Amino acid sequence: MIEVCGLTKTYLTHERGHTLKEMAVNVIKRPMKEVHAVKDISFTVETGGMVAFLGPNGAGKSTTLKMLTGVLHPTSGEATALGFTPWKNRREYVRRIGAVFGQKSQLLWDIPPIDSFYMNKAIYGVPDRAYKETLDHLTELLGVTTLIRKPTRQLSLGERMKCEFIMAMLHRPELVFLDEPTIGLDVIAKENIRDFIRSMNQQGVTFILTTHDLDDVELLARRVIVINHGELVFDDSISALRGQLGMRKAVRLSTEQPVAELHLPGVTLIKRHHDRELELEIDVELFPLKSFISHINEQYGILDMAMEPLPIETVMKQLYASEPRPGSFGAGSRIAASYR
Amino acid sequence: MKGLLTCFIAVMKTKLAEQMAYRSHFFLSLAMLIAGDLVVPLITLLVYRSGASFPGWTLHEAMLIQAVFTLAKGIAFPFFFGMVGSTLVHVREGTFDLLLLKPRPVLFMSMLSGFDPDDFGRVVSGGVLLAFALSGLPSPAALDWFIFLLLFAASVAVLASFSFIMAALLFRWVGSSRVYDIFDAVTSFGMYPGTIFSKAFQQLFTYVLPIGMIAFVPAQALLGQGEWGTAVMALAAVVFLLLGTVFWHRMLRSYTSAGG
Repeated sequence: MIEVCGLTKTYLTHERGHTLKEMAVNVIKRPMKEVHAVKDISFTVETGGMVAFLGPNGAGKSTTLKMLTGVLHPTSGEATALGFTPWKNRREYVRRIGAVFGQKSQLLWDIPPIDSFYMNKAIYGVPDRAYKETLDHLTELLGVTTLIRKPTRQLSLGERMKCEFIMAMLHRPELVFLDEPTIGLDVIAKENIRDFIRSMNQQGVTFILTTHDLDDVELLARRVIVINHGELVFDDSISALRGQLGMRKAVRLSTEQPVAELHLPGVTLIKRHHDRELELEIDVELFPLKSFISHINEQYGILDMAMEPLPIETVMKQLYASEPRPGSFGAGSRIAASYR
Repeated sequence: MKGLLTCFIAVMKTKLAEQMAYRSHFFLSLAMLIAGDLVVPLITLLVYRSGASFPGWTLHEAMLIQAVFTLAKGIAFPFFFGMVGSTLVHVREGTFDLLLLKPRPVLFMSMLSGFDPDDFGRVVSGGVLLAFALSGLPSPAALDWFIFLLLFAASVAVLASFSFIMAALLFRWVGSSRVYDIFDAVTSFGMYPGTIFSKAFQQLFTYVLPIGMIAFVPAQALLGQGEWGTAVMALAAVVFLLLGTVFWHRMLRSYTSAGG
């Protein structure tokens, strides 16, 4: 469905200092800096996939997604999605894709979402019957049948986000890009949105998900692509991502006796809440669990112990912390990448 | 084409509904526009009442030019000028992406996103001025009306080109809300009879920056001074419209999205 080969985006941006002198100089002369936002990335996405596209702020993921939606032109490289080159066949291509931005609303603020839906129906040229069927189906699935007639400004964030999804799905796209779809939502609203995404995915819609909420990733994605400093640093299944953690466990421990320095193989002190309460990370391949429990109990007396697999955040932090190759920079807060 | 028209009507309806959500704002804005547009004609009236005048032009003839100017803005502003303000916001905030994600021509979407029904108020003030001006002039012949309508369409085209150029500049000059002031300053010459300016100025305002086409040339048609040769001037407007469209698309390449 999506094939990306050697996609690269480089742009020039100006740098400005914050002092009065630097600002004054900047009015006359603006030093330019070349930024390599995306560097030669390649990947493919199969039809019906649910792929999380992750990376720290400024990693280049938004630039990549903007190229894949046809909004930006790459400096070099190729990409095809649904058989189109997004930036060359923009109009035909966007008719078959959808996009939901957690921080950019497509709804009109002062009027009910139903009016915005009607406007999108006309923009996409959706026939009356198909529009009604899809709208009925989506409103029922998201439980917003009555809400869509209230002015958007009176809806809660969760309700608005559900309407954003309807707006993006009315023309029955085959491929949907989600950018932070659950940002700012409460747990119930998040669950509803995730259920909806899952349901649509089961109906054959391919999703590319960009998020910083790793619960979204764990609960939705089957595959994870991580980009950092403009480079692809991981592309595999979610289980392979967990596999990167090895046999490590997170342990929270309360003891009878104060715990001094711990010098045990495979045991790392993560946080000391108190001299008798610690958070540890144990590599059970280096120090078997049975031996660890026995050792701690003998030395300090275990009062309470909780153990769980390391959160996916741990491996993400490792991937995000990787150093850039010489000569590359992050994309920065403003993506000064040209439309063409 | 049918799809574009359906899309156009649907978006107009939605935008009108959006404006009507705050009725007091809508009507106040309408009233303020009408009042604002009547300031220059009122000054013209005071000038003539005090015994001064534009040389060779009666009060009603001068008013006719200002009426046509206001009417042209009344048609062009709702459809084309809202895009200047909306482009300013969309480019600065990176939400222009949303327009690029729609399966329609980007210029068309940009125009629709900026549709501003408030500005139709100018049609009212322009209509009042036109009625006043024509009340003191001989009735134009049918042919004069025909030529006038042709030239009036060219006038709207010139104004549309100005809006395309201003909106286009905002792709490069991000956040420059003053571009509208440039337009206002340049086109204000169009409210007065072209003949009061020097010949060179007249040539400049007819063929280079066709500001004369906004009101002076169409008004001449209603005064019986129009001829088929005048209609050729409409070509300058068409060329200007084409240049504006090409310039807009060219500048779109400078569009920079915002960080995600």
